[in-house]
Amino acid sequence: MLKKVFGGNIEQKVIDSIKKHMQILYSASECFKKGLQEWDKDQMHCVADLEREGDSVRREIISMIYEGAFLPYLRTNICRFVEIVDEAFDVLKDTAYEFENLEPMDEDIREDCIQIADINQQMCDMLIIAFDALFNKGDLREKTLAIRIYEKKVDDMKFDLIGKLRNKEVKNFWEGRTLSDSISYLTHISDVIEDASDYLHIINLSMR
Amino acid sequence: MKVDEIMTKKLEIISADASIYDAIERMIDKRIRSLLVKPKDEHDVYGVITVRDIVYKALGKNLDLNKTKVAEIMSKPLVCVDKGMDVEHAINLMTKFNITRVFISEGKEILGIISLLDFMSAALIKRAREGHGA
Repeated sequence: MLKKVFGGNIEQKVIDSIKKHMQILYSASECFKKGLQEWDKDQMHCVADLEREGDSVRREIISMIYEGAFLPYLRTNICRFVEIVDEAFDVLKDTAYEFENLEPMDEDIREDCIQIADINQQMCDMLIIAFDALFNKGDLREKTLAIRIYEKKVDDMKFDLIGKLRNKEVKNFWEGRTLSDSISYLTHISDVIEDASDYLHIINLSMR
Repeated sequence: MKVDEIMTKKLEIISADASIYDAIERMIDKRIRSLLVKPKDEHDVYGVITVRDIVYKALGKNLDLNKTKVAEIMSKPLVCVDKGMDVEHAINLMTKFNITRVFISEGKEILGIISLLDFMSAALIKRAREGHGA
């Protein structure tokens, strides 16, 4: 829809760059999941690398928008959407950092973490689908509903995980803190992606 | 779509000798509506106790929740489908038996559970992904 009304070259460049930004987020979450599955802490460095790449794409997008892409009243909402996706990168990077510093986890806790990482990755994919729907007359409502369903699943698993963690003995303050922070960041990623999908809805409304 | 793609692996298990009050506590703590009941011995099979059993068979009949055992009101045997079955087959079974959940098994082992909400969520996600190949 937006493409039709504001289908200039610079707008198309912004749209392509936003897609690229989200695809990098998808790759980062895939890479994090793989690191967790294989318990390979070195593999998790790729999250920080991809986050830096995402940062540079975000700067490009914001610059293009303020150089004149889209009508001024749309710019704020599009920029906000990009900033929220960038926040998801930051939380994912913090998660990877905490996991790099973790002692080996109990198998049942690790399995839950892998499942949450998998849902996070599927949410990133669905966010890309939702963004496509915004520009290609797809049903944005059903895509954002799917994102909310995923988020609810993570939420349910979060309380279960916290219950398991409360029964786990830790050797010292920092082990407990790192474990708690890693779970807290891991389960926060879905909230941020849900916020981003809500913003797609706002952009959609603002274009009417 | 196969049932094991959408099942919930989190299974809460309770002993058949536990009291109904124990079962209620567990359901509230874990925010779930059913518990898998452990077989008593190797000749026994798994059972299930649901919120529906508790309301209709215990609370509705004023049974003493601390003295009545799970074994007295649970349903047995479980309605199970093999992990490789299609989702449609599981829905047909649920319609036929008028139940709201089925268990997923592999041989004698119970792998997971699917409730009506899981079916609905999976169908909505599939619909949202249609045309995007993922």
